[in-house]
Amino acid sequence: MAIKRLFVANRGEIALRIVRAAQALNIETVVAVSDADRDSAAGRLADRSIVLGPPAAAKSYLDPRLIVHAAKESGCDGLHPGYGFLSERAILPRLCSDHGIAFVGPEPDVIDALGDKLKARAMAQAAGVPLVPGSECVATAADARREGDRIGYPVLLKAAAGGGGRGMVIAHNGDEAEAGFHRASAEAVAAFGDGTLFMERFVPEARHVEVQLMGDGKGRVLHFGERDCSVQRRYQKLIEEAPCAAMPDHLRAQLHQSAVDLAASVNYRNAGTAEFLFDVQRQEFYFIEVNARIQVEHPVSEMISGFDLVQEQIRIAGGAGLSVVQQDVKLSGHAIECRINAEDTKRDFLPSPGRITRWEPPEGEGIRLDSHMSAGTMIPPFYDSMVGKLIVHGKDRADAISRMADAIDGFAIEGVPTTLDLHRAIITHPDFVENHIHTRWLEQVLLPDYGKKAA
Amino acid sequence: MVEPGFPDALKLLLEEFSRSELCELHVRRGDFELYLSTDVARGRPQAAPRGVSAASVAAPLGHPAEAQGSAIEPVPAAVPDRTAADLPAEAIIITAPNLGTFYRAPKPGAANYVEVGGRIAEGDELCLIEVMKLFTALRAGVSGTIHAVLVEDGAMVDGGQPLFAVVAD
Repeated sequence: MAIKRLFVANRGEIALRIVRAAQALNIETVVAVSDADRDSAAGRLADRSIVLGPPAAAKSYLDPRLIVHAAKESGCDGLHPGYGFLSERAILPRLCSDHGIAFVGPEPDVIDALGDKLKARAMAQAAGVPLVPGSECVATAADARREGDRIGYPVLLKAAAGGGGRGMVIAHNGDEAEAGFHRASAEAVAAFGDGTLFMERFVPEARHVEVQLMGDGKGRVLHFGERDCSVQRRYQKLIEEAPCAAMPDHLRAQLHQSAVDLAASVNYRNAGTAEFLFDVQRQEFYFIEVNARIQVEHPVSEMISGFDLVQEQIRIAGGAGLSVVQQDVKLSGHAIECRINAEDTKRDFLPSPGRITRWEPPEGEGIRLDSHMSAGTMIPPFYDSMVGKLIVHGKDRADAISRMADAIDGFAIEGVPTTLDLHRAIITHPDFVENHIHTRWLEQVLLPDYGKKAA
Repeated sequence: MVEPGFPDALKLLLEEFSRSELCELHVRRGDFELYLSTDVARGRPQAAPRGVSAASVAAPLGHPAEAQGSAIEPVPAAVPDRTAADLPAEAIIITAPNLGTFYRAPKPGAANYVEVGGRIAEGDELCLIEVMKLFTALRAGVSGTIHAVLVEDGAMVDGGQPLFAVVAD
């Protein structure tokens, strides 16, 4: 049954994005806010806003019982979790289902299975999706050499009981694999009391690519192309693009098919993203994980497909099937998104909450801004520091880069430090322009020099 | 030197302190020093006394505590004849710690915990706040007389919504 009143269990730009999508579908909206977000843009635009509790997320946005109680008591028949917070916690769809509220997302059991890395890997393997080549347990130095020779160097030796980088050694040849075995095993014994190791191929310069998926929950899954999110700092994405211009077409087709096969194998429902590592030297991709939610960077896929993914999410949760078939999804041009954070790049990206005193975004053809900010908005210190996503669409990558440079130049933000200048430095850097980047490029190449030229 | 954003940071700190269970906070940074205390006996004036209970003593009525823009159905909030003007200046407003359904009695048919004009002592139960069948009693953080009950029985209240006006002893 189509949703009539949607509860928005999130904040910031995505709450506003969801309210707008619902309004376009003539659906009423109720936005849950914490005490710190009483005056939020999403709450003002919605038909109603409800204060959940104190600013601390654990007592507001992260309390599933509080949220479902509010949804039920405000007469909502659908709930959108956005991203982050409770979006991938199975308890939220379970509570929704107990109270007759349609959850805008996958089945709780699917969320649980995909959230478990080992289960997700097994599901990917069963669906024929490529995984990083690796070994079973390795018991001796001789085994390590033999497995290393088979997998191909460089390889990573990892503690089976491990985590947090301890008991991890990179080996570039057979001798290093033998020596590395002794070292990693000793470290693993010291750290975890268990010297068992396993090995996997190490990709020194990988790109992060991911496929946008949408499933009907009955085995039919569409893809909306891939995104390249290789500009990262400490595993946080700063810039996302669609498509991945570095990937040849035949590989791209295999990537899409792998992602669709995996999602179809679990009758995936609603929006999701399959993430992969792309080894450019070897021209291979390996499965990482599935994110069972709408993602921050979904707008770049919308820009190249002309498709509103959040509206489609709401329709599917209301019981409608997919509104199109794969042949209808036509991808064109190139889109880039910059995540603008209120962070001080001169102070190790220190989050800098405070009041925005000037907010004049750029306008023009092919420019989109997803943001909940305006002049006078207070950025509270309790949540993430993202103030907006600047998105451009051009006829090709070079055109999109040029548009983004102009859009950044035309963007005036005052009151708090932001990462806008860093984004300018990235997208005008020769490595980015020539598309010779990888997931550690920002930290290894650009950031060490950043700020020195200006000084 | 006053840093940019300093007044906002101070405001946030004050808000956080007043919401927290902390009794004292002492901040020193450079030549700036700030001391906050909820202890009236220390001679530093405080807007309202505080207890250790869940009842938070918050802003006077008229502060924008109600949810905004309730086009769907009005939030059952302040009783119409009880406006800020009716309340004595010394009235203390007890607010909901979080969202939930407000119940004046321990169970249907039972007597209300408190009535207007009734006396309360610090620690007394005032009402129940229900979240998904979990009932939490709200206790008074102050002794005094109930001057007004600001919400209808059975209504959903927002976090921070005023529930009772109390004239303290």
